[in-house]
Amino acid sequence: MPPREDSSKVARRSTRFSSSSAAVENPEPNESHPPTIDDLTFGGESFPLDALLSDFPGRRSQILDLIRLMGPLDSPTLPVIVYGDASTGKTSLVLQVLRHLNRPFVYSSCRACYNPRVLFESILNQLLLHSKSSSNGYSSAKRCDKPSDFVNLLRQSLGNVMETLDSRSNGKPVGKMVYLVVDHLDLIKEWDKGAVILQFLFNLYSLLKMPQLGVILISGLPPDVYYSNMGYTDPIPLYFPEYSEDDLRQIFLKNQTNRKLYSAFLDVVLRPFSRVTRRVDELSTTFSSLFRKYCEPLDDLGVSPNEDLKRRLYSHLKPLLAPCLNEIFRVSSRSHDDERRQKKASYSSENREEVGVLDFHMSTSAKFLLIAAFLASRNPATLDASMFDSTGGMDNRKRKRKASEKSMEKKEIAEQEAVMKGPGSFPLERLLAIFQCIASVGDTSFGEEEEEEEGEATGYDREKTNLMSDILLQVSSLCDANLIIKSGSCPLEGTSRYRSMVSEDLALKVGKSLSFPLAKYLYRR
Amino acid sequence: MAPSGTVADPPPSSATDSFNSGATAENDIRPFFVLHKASSGNLQAKSTGTVKSKRRIESPSPSKFAKKSEPESVEEEDNDYFSTLRLKVFDTVWSKIEKTIENVLRDSNSKVFSGIHDWIRESFESIRSSGALSLSEAVRSYPVLTQASSKQLFTALVLTRNLEMVDDLLTFEELHLRLKSQGCHVAKLSSMDFSAKNGVGGCLRGLLRQFVMPTIDVADVTILASWYRENKNHENPVVIIVDDTERCCGSVLSDLILILSEWAIKVPIFIIMGVSTAHDAPRKILSMNALQRLCASKFTLSSPAERMDAVLEAVFLKPCSGFTVSHKVALFMRSYFLCQDGTLTSFVRTLKIACLQHFSLEPLSIMLEHFCQDDSNQLSDEGTGLLTEATMKHAFDLPSVTRNKITRSTYEMLPQFLLDLQRMPNPWSIVVLCIYEAGKFDKLRLLDIFCETLDPEARYLKYFSPSATVNSQSHISGRNSVIRQLLRKLRDLSPSQLSSLLKSWEKLTAEFSEINDKVMELHPFMRSVEAAGQRQGLPSSPKKHASRSHSKLEKELKAMTDKVAAVIEFMLREYMKPVESVPFNEILCFKNVDKLQSALLGDPRGRIQSDLLESHSILHCMCCSQRGTTTLLPSMHDTSILYTLAQEHADVINLHDWYQSFKTILVPRSSKAKPKSKTASKSKKRKDRCEEPPEPPAEALVQARFCRAVMELQIAGLIRMPSKRRPDFVQRVAFGS
Repeated sequence: MPPREDSSKVARRSTRFSSSSAAVENPEPNESHPPTIDDLTFGGESFPLDALLSDFPGRRSQILDLIRLMGPLDSPTLPVIVYGDASTGKTSLVLQVLRHLNRPFVYSSCRACYNPRVLFESILNQLLLHSKSSSNGYSSAKRCDKPSDFVNLLRQSLGNVMETLDSRSNGKPVGKMVYLVVDHLDLIKEWDKGAVILQFLFNLYSLLKMPQLGVILISGLPPDVYYSNMGYTDPIPLYFPEYSEDDLRQIFLKNQTNRKLYSAFLDVVLRPFSRVTRRVDELSTTFSSLFRKYCEPLDDLGVSPNEDLKRRLYSHLKPLLAPCLNEIFRVSSRSHDDERRQKKASYSSENREEVGVLDFHMSTSAKFLLIAAFLASRNPATLDASMFDSTGGMDNRKRKRKASEKSMEKKEIAEQEAVMKGPGSFPLERLLAIFQCIASVGDTSFGEEEEEEEGEATGYDREKTNLMSDILLQVSSLCDANLIIKSGSCPLEGTSRYRSMVSEDLALKVGKSLSFPLAKYLYRR
Repeated sequence: MAPSGTVADPPPSSATDSFNSGATAENDIRPFFVLHKASSGNLQAKSTGTVKSKRRIESPSPSKFAKKSEPESVEEEDNDYFSTLRLKVFDTVWSKIEKTIENVLRDSNSKVFSGIHDWIRESFESIRSSGALSLSEAVRSYPVLTQASSKQLFTALVLTRNLEMVDDLLTFEELHLRLKSQGCHVAKLSSMDFSAKNGVGGCLRGLLRQFVMPTIDVADVTILASWYRENKNHENPVVIIVDDTERCCGSVLSDLILILSEWAIKVPIFIIMGVSTAHDAPRKILSMNALQRLCASKFTLSSPAERMDAVLEAVFLKPCSGFTVSHKVALFMRSYFLCQDGTLTSFVRTLKIACLQHFSLEPLSIMLEHFCQDDSNQLSDEGTGLLTEATMKHAFDLPSVTRNKITRSTYEMLPQFLLDLQRMPNPWSIVVLCIYEAGKFDKLRLLDIFCETLDPEARYLKYFSPSATVNSQSHISGRNSVIRQLLRKLRDLSPSQLSSLLKSWEKLTAEFSEINDKVMELHPFMRSVEAAGQRQGLPSSPKKHASRSHSKLEKELKAMTDKVAAVIEFMLREYMKPVESVPFNEILCFKNVDKLQSALLGDPRGRIQSDLLESHSILHCMCCSQRGTTTLLPSMHDTSILYTLAQEHADVINLHDWYQSFKTILVPRSSKAKPKSKTASKSKKRKDRCEEPPEPPAEALVQARFCRAVMELQIAGLIRMPSKRRPDFVQRVAFGS
């Protein structure tokens, strides 16, 4: 529980807005196995408004708005749609407000409920106080597939809930309303027939004609994207903007033991990182690992830092910041726990080290295939003939010489276009043709450059006659490993086309391991 | 390792080898088996492994013996007896090899596995220590309202370091069993569960099926939560193994991760992802939201090359079965591994094929049984007692015997030779292992060393043998020799490396006193080098002094490496006798590279094509042999007729024309159609009845047969069915043969 501070202003407001906030007493939550009606509310101790407000720095207006929209006990509520970017506190704020008001509610996330049936049944299960267990074969209380069935069943079960709520005499008043919270509404758009379900949910309030149900929808997308002119009343929008830097600072300072030290840490990291992202979840994972680093030189974590110490700690942390800025996925290697290896290519010094070693095994023919695919994706098909004729791709030097202003401009445009387009696609035949060319070249002319490769090259030569027998197998295993992807079929020929997904780095690595001069074959615009 | 069912699948080419030899057993029509009785054939092949391999062994052996010895009935019986015996010996030998390989692989993984288990335990404790949830909290649908970091899922990336997944299926299966035996709840999902078609529901269902119960109406993550709270399930962590992450549908996997991460506090889940390419592969397939929920650690399995070395060492260099391969076969296997397949599975399969062929081709291979057994002295009497006159003759006709001028007169010496043979690999393999030990500092692969040391005509042998002329040659010849390279790199070793090398040599040569003595002689030198090193390491010594002692150290070191090199040369000179240079090595050593190659790289489609075009040479039916081979006869098989006709077309075939020409062959223009007796013409192969002119079949029947033949060609992968755009044409897929 956050510390309760008495703020007279807050208390005054709360009494004005909701009659239920201050005076409620809470019974202990019922721990018996079959769920009771108490499970629809949060239970636990009462949760005063000031604690709520201090829990969500920068969300004061949203909290007060939401409380106002939900109104006093037993007042019918129009549907509310809460929207805003990811990780801006929508879900937890709504839940905490319900906790504060001590209203019964039903929560379903469209993330976990991935189709209408699961969504409907999960709502009904909660209303009917049904819990899945081995004794009932983990089945739902009611089978419900269609929206129309759902409306009927919902009406029935709401009636039941109302009766039990009515008959409840003891404990604090919870009112005669149940709130339905549907989270991650935007995911419904991806479902098949999602539009129908969305409309149904928006329309649920008027379809049901029961003022006892309050609907709160939580969405990552603004409400405009859902509306179609279907004649239902628009839900009341409540926008959650991104946190400001000050809000973030307060959020992160909230649960710290040594606030002074952490605030010194935030002074360093918050500004650069909040330019990149303001998502609390992203920042908090990054910060927690960075803070551990930050504290490393310290013996006593309770120390309150002075300027000198801050500077020292900063210089310690500084080299780690830049790679972290671009990084959301960190892999720590288990064997040496302390040393975390950052895996971003932007960190150039490390990057250079990594070039040259291919850290997984591929057979030689798979390597050649990979290079062939890379070339086929990168180079225009018209160039193949000149690249792979007897001169072996030497003539692209000539092309570079005549570069006037105009052509430079054109080149730039083409380059941008190529970036937008990504790797090109190619038919299988072209891949095999290039493969044949480079595999034979790789054997004849590059063997003598390096001593070590010679043994391999000769062995390879020996096998070359049989090489084609399982080359298609290799193609498919490259596809499996996502190094080549099968893109859509060509509209004219009806055959499938391929696309290489490897980065230039990886291709160069592979080329180096074969001592194949890949750069010579790349067409640079 | 692959299950034996796939390993011993008879490659088509090996079956067809005996076609020309005149044997017409019923299994020689195997290409047609593919077309006709595929289901029953498969059934048979699956049901009993031994039946199938017996067939393979027996089919070549009669033809070979027909050539080699006079056809006597007694010998025929002997052959039968011996071939079953050989099969039995093969079984014991191979099972021994297989078991060795299994053990090696298990050992190679065990360290990583225990690392993973420790990681799970530690993380699970840390989750549990952060506070337990009450029952109602743990099963309700809304998230626990705590810090955002609680949504993190602990994830292990297991790097398999091989593009191909085959080797690691077994690894993950073992990991599954191991974790399960240690109390975790484990479910194993493969990329099949993560298909875009079934969506996240499909993989949730797969999870629940393995955790909760097989029949789940609607897969819902709340079921997992309620299950986890029952029956003390919550005392153990939940582990999900995804063995081929790259092949999964990224969006579905991301969805699953997001769902699970929302429930991460209620159900502590550990995900183990097998990653076959680089460790940042998840970055490529997962969405950003999902990536951010992963708290990843990295575990690295040993690379295929390392495992290969371990397997080689255990199978060929440590006493295992006695079976070994020749230089050429080893080279072939090596290049197959490096260039073509690169999986241990295929290497083991190659080895198995080699072993099987060795037993099917070499009559004397029965004697391997005795090599396989641990006590060595049994060999002499029993082993030779098994030999008949014919095999004896064969034994003395072996090239290695004639080359060494051993004749029948030395018959009594045979047991002695065999004993030598049995003892033979020892010094050789010790030397190879010593070289490998030295090569480890230079990251030399045992595979390379092994291949080179097997070479009976290796250049270094000539070079080291006393008769050869000195160094001038070696610069030209030994350029890419691994051993040359090793001797060169020996100079760069540090004192500590040298001393560890000496220690490992000492251990390796413990049983072989001749080499061991030489190694022991090195120790005093080593001690002096170490002493010099210590003197130099003294921190207080002034600079001048240090440089002097440094030079002394270098001198000592140089002397030491020279000594070590001398020992290596001594070992090579005295004991490096590759198995192929020993008399009677044919008993142990498989040499036939071509057979192995054709068995391994069988060309099934080409084989089908050529067999379809020349079916008469296989069937040996009366009709075709009488009237020559070029004309098409109605008695031929329909598919064969159609395919021969298809040769006249370009890459597309007009169906109508094709049908017409097919009909003209079945219904000769001259004879009038007699549309009766459908039943009689129903039998497809009418080779027995081809003497009397068959009555031409009815139009409907011709069409039906045409359709069926086209279908068979399609199934065989020779044509592609008409597309929507050109409904009248089929496309030829295969050209040439």
